[in-house]
Amino acid sequence: MAAFEPVLSRNWNNPDILSVKTYESKGGYVGSRKALTTMSPDNVVDLVKASELRGRGGAGFPTGLKWSFLPKDRKETFMCINGDESEPATFNNRYLVEKDPHQFIEGILIGCYATKANTAYVYLRFEYIKAIQILEKAIAEARVAGHLGKNIYGSGFDLEIWCHRGAGAYICGEETGLIESLEGKRGWPRIKPPFPAIEGAFRKPTVVNNIETLACVPHIIERGADWFKSMGTPKSYGPKLYTISGQVNRQVCVELPLGVTTNELLEDHGGGVWKGRKAKAAVPGGISMGLLKKEEFDIPLDFEEIRKTGCLGLGTAAVTIMDDQTRIIDYLYNTTRFFAHESCGQCTPCREGTGWLYKTVSRIRNGGGRTEDLDLMSHLANNMGITPGTTICGLADGAAWPIKNALAKYREELEDFIKHNQNPAYKITAGQDAISRGKSPLASNTSMFVPGIGLAKSLTN
Amino acid sequence: MATIIIDGQNYDLPEGAKFNAIQAARHFGIEIPYYCWHPALSVVANCRMCEIEVGSKDASGEIKMLPRLTPGCQTPVRDGTVLVTDSVKVLEHRKNIMELLLINHPLDCPVCDQAGECGLQDYSYSHGRAEHRFVEERNVKPRKEVSDLIVLNTDRCIMCTRCVRFTREITGTAELQVMRRGDHGEIAIFPDHPLDNPLAGNVVDLCPVGALLDKDFLHNQRVWFLSKHDTICTGCSTGCNISSEENAGKVWRHKPRHNPYVNDYWICDEGRYGYKSANAPDLLAGSYILDGGDHHGATSDRFFKRLNEDLTHRILDKQSVLAIFSPFLSVEEAFSAASWVKHLTNRNTMALGPVSVLGQDQTYSPDKLTGRSGDTSFLVPRPFTISAEKSPNKAGVSFVINHFQGSNVVSFEDALKLVPSNPIVIVFGGSPNSDWITPEQSAEIRKAERVILFDTTINVLADAADYVAGMATFAEKAGSYVNRDNRLQHFDAALPLRDGVWTLLDILAILRGVGRSPIESRTILAEAAEKILALAKAVGGQVPEFGLNLTGQDALIPDAGFQDDWTMASLAKA
Repeated sequence: MAAFEPVLSRNWNNPDILSVKTYESKGGYVGSRKALTTMSPDNVVDLVKASELRGRGGAGFPTGLKWSFLPKDRKETFMCINGDESEPATFNNRYLVEKDPHQFIEGILIGCYATKANTAYVYLRFEYIKAIQILEKAIAEARVAGHLGKNIYGSGFDLEIWCHRGAGAYICGEETGLIESLEGKRGWPRIKPPFPAIEGAFRKPTVVNNIETLACVPHIIERGADWFKSMGTPKSYGPKLYTISGQVNRQVCVELPLGVTTNELLEDHGGGVWKGRKAKAAVPGGISMGLLKKEEFDIPLDFEEIRKTGCLGLGTAAVTIMDDQTRIIDYLYNTTRFFAHESCGQCTPCREGTGWLYKTVSRIRNGGGRTEDLDLMSHLANNMGITPGTTICGLADGAAWPIKNALAKYREELEDFIKHNQNPAYKITAGQDAISRGKSPLASNTSMFVPGIGLAKSLTN
Repeated sequence: MATIIIDGQNYDLPEGAKFNAIQAARHFGIEIPYYCWHPALSVVANCRMCEIEVGSKDASGEIKMLPRLTPGCQTPVRDGTVLVTDSVKVLEHRKNIMELLLINHPLDCPVCDQAGECGLQDYSYSHGRAEHRFVEERNVKPRKEVSDLIVLNTDRCIMCTRCVRFTREITGTAELQVMRRGDHGEIAIFPDHPLDNPLAGNVVDLCPVGALLDKDFLHNQRVWFLSKHDTICTGCSTGCNISSEENAGKVWRHKPRHNPYVNDYWICDEGRYGYKSANAPDLLAGSYILDGGDHHGATSDRFFKRLNEDLTHRILDKQSVLAIFSPFLSVEEAFSAASWVKHLTNRNTMALGPVSVLGQDQTYSPDKLTGRSGDTSFLVPRPFTISAEKSPNKAGVSFVINHFQGSNVVSFEDALKLVPSNPIVIVFGGSPNSDWITPEQSAEIRKAERVILFDTTINVLADAADYVAGMATFAEKAGSYVNRDNRLQHFDAALPLRDGVWTLLDILAILRGVGRSPIESRTILAEAAEKILALAKAVGGQVPEFGLNLTGQDALIPDAGFQDDWTMASLAKA
């Protein structure tokens, strides 16, 4: 592989880059000027399609394709930029906004031009106060410098960007939840169809893109699709911001071509596992993606290869390393607690299932576990997140995946934990135990008389 | 002709039908269970109970199924739609959903008012598992007083959000909202903003479980003891279709019945609690004759004999009659009564009783766009009106009077001025309110030589009239009313007749000398239909389920008759 030259993070060491003058002097706003003055919106869409840029938000949906779903005869389009970034351990969007806001604004400009959107909403997560301050200042400067506003670069294209700060809910990072929240409603994901491209924000065609996705676009315009495809692995091209955190010596956000391995990240960039310990497992891209064993650390972290390990996908490429003293039950406790807290409460499987899993994992962790709890959890996780799922959005799949993954990869450890960690204070009562094992008076060997139905044996099957 | 496939069988959709999968399946007698969906509210698809396998058959006949289970409520059916509602995957999924819905449910059915008409109970029997595997501690949520009439038990709630959508989409008042997230989510009101809009009681009917309950009905009756009778609300001229639920000689509550042409799925609170006058303790309980300044109870034989003799004598004296017909009379009663008056003498004037008008009509026009997005072509929002005219049958009684009088209906105010020229005044009452007549009006009528009153309540006129006969209340009689839109609707009796009184139809049959056997309202209606042009459509006294549009043609509503309930009973009906 040729030496990799960072593009997204090339200006991160320059604190002056926050000013529009400096950004321009470093070759900024060249891509947007090129797109707006020499290319038609369709040309831009075609170029992005040709680059095979995939959304960096987590699902990896091809960006050009997403843009081309917009109805041809639309009158008004909105662009929503998803900066909710609430997947635990993910902070690449924050770096992009805080350290090089104009690159991001340039990306919005080109994306809006391609999708003919005259209004863009940047939805940033509640906690990103500094990022919002920087971004709003940058937007104001960009407007003065003529990169935003009316008739940009004399192309006749108008664009306004608005910042919207979320209220601290994970679910508002789901694209339709984001739109609902943006409209001032409760952030409950919408049923699909219609997809946002047909009916999104304020019932108008809407594109929802991730910050990092849009930040890639100016570089594709400037350097072409072939340059973009020269990096990465098949079907996963281009540069990607990986964050590495957890029990490592250096917690950083680094830009690398798609398809690095966990080992490379850990050793070359994370400085190895902390306290001289060994690695045990890793979360590849936000906790909803699942779990990588130490033996799987040499699998490329891209959109395709990672699925072969049983993980849900690359996610946000936020790698969290766990050392060999970490207990899987603690990992499960953290993930289930997170999802039980963040489930929006709309769909039954997710609302009730996440809470149930959290309670069960807590009980096991406290010393009240039974071996069959693991089967129950596995069954429950499968009910909640049969991929493709049974709920409106993907939160239930994401909540169930770590359970399924952990049970598939670390079942022995969990069984061992249950066996050796018994605390009478947390044990369930004998009655509860009997009922849950089907040893109640209504168990299958007895029949229940149901008025109107008769002896209802089938009820207990 | 659009053809869909359900569970391997081909079905032809009715012309012009815009159904979702639930409606389509039920139309053909197949059940897809659901909680959060409601035919008059926007689709949220959050209970996930109606998830089925959905696919489509293309022109070449190849069937492609979607890989995931899809909620039936959000799936509009069109030509070639394939639905699978009975596969192992679907049945297993329903069991899982039932299990999940119950893990935080208190299972306090023995003390819950909803028991017996509860979506959770019914679906647990038909779709659930008998065992439960949940051994953790349940979430405990509070009981909330959301208004003076409604209580919210958040622990029983399954978060279908029907009530929230109702207050946002139908009434537009938005008192209810969802608070908190996940399994700690609760329905709530804003502090000091109770759920007190005029349609608020409907949220109790909408609630599939025992979360929202009517305090008026709370712990009064177990629902399985109640007999339901299809009646029409007499509260205003809208003529809402209601079910009057009775046990042990008392009406315990009114519930709305679906009629897409009149009230859709709703009734107002005024009508809902209007049942109380049926149980009023101080109703007229017999026949009375004024003698020596005092009313004396009379057996009906004696009463009819005295009345007939008195009237015959006076008619022979060429005394004229002023007859006043309450707008609370049924069409049949008015027709019978007018026939009798006509039979007595041609020297008669027929007038309409007092029609009270309170304020202005209140119309709720739901707007589809206030709901959430999605293909909702199968959802047709229909307006609901609370009429300012507080009587059920002004139109029907007017038809009858017009027919017999051949001229305009005399108003009550004008009728009072005619009292001096008419020695005999006959008043056919029927209003459930004893204040339908004021003491001044009563005194005016009393100026006549003979005042004859048929009524239900003890009121000022009953205190003064020469002959007073108790008659069946609105709950004790059957018949038909014509509402403000000239729709003729039939209603059944909900209560048995109280002791000592007759229905007005029977009283009049005796007075006319037609006979002493009970008179069926349909016979009278058939007779009226033959004679009165405006009622001609009610041939043979037959009134269809959703009533008869007397003046026009009804628009076709393919989803009409979709009862929103949890049992298979409605399937048998379809």
